[in-house]
Amino acid sequence: MRRVDKIRRAMAFYFAVLLFCILLPVILSYALGYKIDYRHFKIYKTGILYISSRPVGASICINGKMCQSLTPAQIEELKPGDYKVEVRKDGFYPWEREMVVRPNMVTKADRIVLFPITQEMKAISRGGIRDFTAYGNSFIYYMKSSGLFRSDMDGGDMKRLSSYSDWPYDIIGKRFSVDGNELLFFTTYKLSMLHLQPGAIKVDEVFTSQDPIIDAFWYPSAGYIIVVTHRDIMVVELSDFERRNAVSLYKFNSRPRSVSYDDNKGSLYFIDTRIGEDSKNSNFLYRLDLKQKLFTGLMQLLIKKEPDAGYEKR
Amino acid sequence: MPVTKRDRFYKRLFEIIPGFLTWATMISLFVLAFVRPLWVAIFVITFDLYWVIRMMYLSMLMLFAYRRLARERVLDWFEKCKALGKTNGMEYRDIYHAILFPAHKEGIDILKPSIEALENSNYPKKSMIVILSVEERAGEESKNNALILKREHENNFKAFIVTVHPKDLPGEIKAKGANATWGAKALKDFLDFEGIDYEQVIISCFDADTCADREYFGCLTYHYITSPHRTRSSYQPIPVYNNNIWHCRSIARLLELGSSFMQMIETMRIEKFVTFSSHSMSFKTLVEVGYWPLDMISDDSVIYWKCFLHFNGDYSVVPMYVTVSMDVATEERILPTIVKQYKQKRRWAWGIENFPYIAVGFMHNRRIPIITKIRRSLNVLESHYTWAVWAVIVTFVAPLTLIFGGGLFRQTSIGYNLPSVSATLLDMSLLTMLICVFVSMKLLPPRPPDVKRQKHFIMYAQWVIAPLVATILGSTPAIDAQTRLMFGKYMHFQVTEKKRHHKNKT
Repeated sequence: MRRVDKIRRAMAFYFAVLLFCILLPVILSYALGYKIDYRHFKIYKTGILYISSRPVGASICINGKMCQSLTPAQIEELKPGDYKVEVRKDGFYPWEREMVVRPNMVTKADRIVLFPITQEMKAISRGGIRDFTAYGNSFIYYMKSSGLFRSDMDGGDMKRLSSYSDWPYDIIGKRFSVDGNELLFFTTYKLSMLHLQPGAIKVDEVFTSQDPIIDAFWYPSAGYIIVVTHRDIMVVELSDFERRNAVSLYKFNSRPRSVSYDDNKGSLYFIDTRIGEDSKNSNFLYRLDLKQKLFTGLMQLLIKKEPDAGYEKR
Repeated sequence: MPVTKRDRFYKRLFEIIPGFLTWATMISLFVLAFVRPLWVAIFVITFDLYWVIRMMYLSMLMLFAYRRLARERVLDWFEKCKALGKTNGMEYRDIYHAILFPAHKEGIDILKPSIEALENSNYPKKSMIVILSVEERAGEESKNNALILKREHENNFKAFIVTVHPKDLPGEIKAKGANATWGAKALKDFLDFEGIDYEQVIISCFDADTCADREYFGCLTYHYITSPHRTRSSYQPIPVYNNNIWHCRSIARLLELGSSFMQMIETMRIEKFVTFSSHSMSFKTLVEVGYWPLDMISDDSVIYWKCFLHFNGDYSVVPMYVTVSMDVATEERILPTIVKQYKQKRRWAWGIENFPYIAVGFMHNRRIPIITKIRRSLNVLESHYTWAVWAVIVTFVAPLTLIFGGGLFRQTSIGYNLPSVSATLLDMSLLTMLICVFVSMKLLPPRPPDVKRQKHFIMYAQWVIAPLVATILGSTPAIDAQTRLMFGKYMHFQVTEKKRHHKNKT
């Protein structure tokens, strides 16, 4: 190898070694969360604050001091301790919290949601609205004193679908069928159904309960409604006959306080009272698997026998 | 080489060490990623930084080597030889060049351009002796091809020897070295008959597809004459893979360019320089050390180590800044190309068999200084170890700590910073790719008429897939080779089939 090549190679080699020796402590200390104070030859432990918000681009104040970066931001080299963090954006309510920065650790506030100030609220429809319901992100249905109307989600493209106007004032719940062609709505004692197929829009009374209705659900395969009243859980068959079959699946021992329905599995969860092992009344959480048991229940109805409740203690 | 039970024991031990180190590193990092993610994260950052700086350093060496190549490849070396006159007791007229082609099943389409390259060289052809040593196991067609070539070209050279290497000779494995040795012995017979002094003969052992640059023999003669220790040196050109570079798959082109770059870099690290692929040496030296080993795959590098041991460390490699051009190992379709490249790289990685060879050799040799022994052994071990583990560490270990390190680790500064620090460091190493693109375009031969002009764009665009190719084919062949050696599953020589596809491939 020529002498000049040897010199060049040696220079490149020692430069590389020097670069490695200089960069390694700098990069490692940065990664580990240490700060090197070159003036005083001291090493500090620091922590990182990671702030992310929705919407992004909000400004960050730490202990009243504005940071240069906007969310999402990583504020580094903070000495361990308590910090008052504020996240602000024009047109949104500010977010504020005391946060603890720990040495060599990352403190995250990455689920901040900034809510818009309501000045952007606008009326999208007006006049005689008794009730309304939105179907997914597609339409809004208006139950008006002048009929049934439908608009897009911004209130535009308003159409009158029906002249039916006898809407109850005390609707306590509404549920669309899976295909969106029917809307179930109910008051304390009455369950009604709004058929939304074009050209056949009408309202049917489905069921009148002796006891106050708490909630109602579509049975997964449709054609049935699960109705939960203060006294029992019932299945109502939707048919064109004037008198609809209604089967009581389970009678509550006490007035149910909480009901939850799993659409996918067709399971109904509820709390009921029962005498426990200690011979005292106690609350139990039950699951009623309707998908499995409904067929059995209806069969029992046909042979005029009270069905067993298919429940399971949780 | 091992003759005693003790030798066999140590050889086996040294065969295990590279694979053991590689697997121990990978398994330890995997386990530590669970139990000590902090340690692994520090190691990964340190390694990434080392890798980036190493890449930059090697790129600089490649640029230095390229500058020399650009300057020296255009020289009229034959004129320089003539101008030298008698130097160190020898002049160019005294020199004979023996060009040995150990061939297997390569057809006339592969061998003919290699012989024509000799005819086109800027050097007296009547000083050249061509030896075509074909394998008996390759069949009659191979032999007939050799005879056709002899008939067509023998008048252009001093001699054209065709010899058939018998199959299954005792003590031999199916390896190129055994064929090369057979051919070299045929040459010896010829030289003895002609009464030519071995020191006057430079033997160049070429692959069947090796096309020497027209200045190759002038440059070789110049270095041989001017070298004060001409018989204590091998002469290494820079291998390029230009024969079919316009017609091969990008993935194969990138890998072969990587090999050329590594050889260019090695010319600048003379203390580590070892012969590779096609190279030349004094025939006197070859006879003295007893030719190429008959039972090893990596004949190109092991002949250097054989000389190094024989001459008690007084042996070196002289870099020559002229090129020899070979074929890129490629196929029509991508997947077979990857398989072919993988097998070729695994065969190169099998060069780790040199480590037990030299380690046992060093144990027997008391004349080589201990420092030299340690340095040279570690050089071989380190280069193969790094080859096997770098892609694994760079690609897989950092994500491993984040996946298995647990929630607490991810909340630490280093757990949080590790992805961005690693990514930034590795992005910096991509800068070195610009140097690679520059040098690759400079080494590129003129575009053949059957290749569209747009192919120039692919020559640049192909580098986009370089990180992916490096990740997939960077370490795996080396891990495979070292693991086989560790378990004593010795490889046989697998000929990389050379085929020229004249359809454009991207």
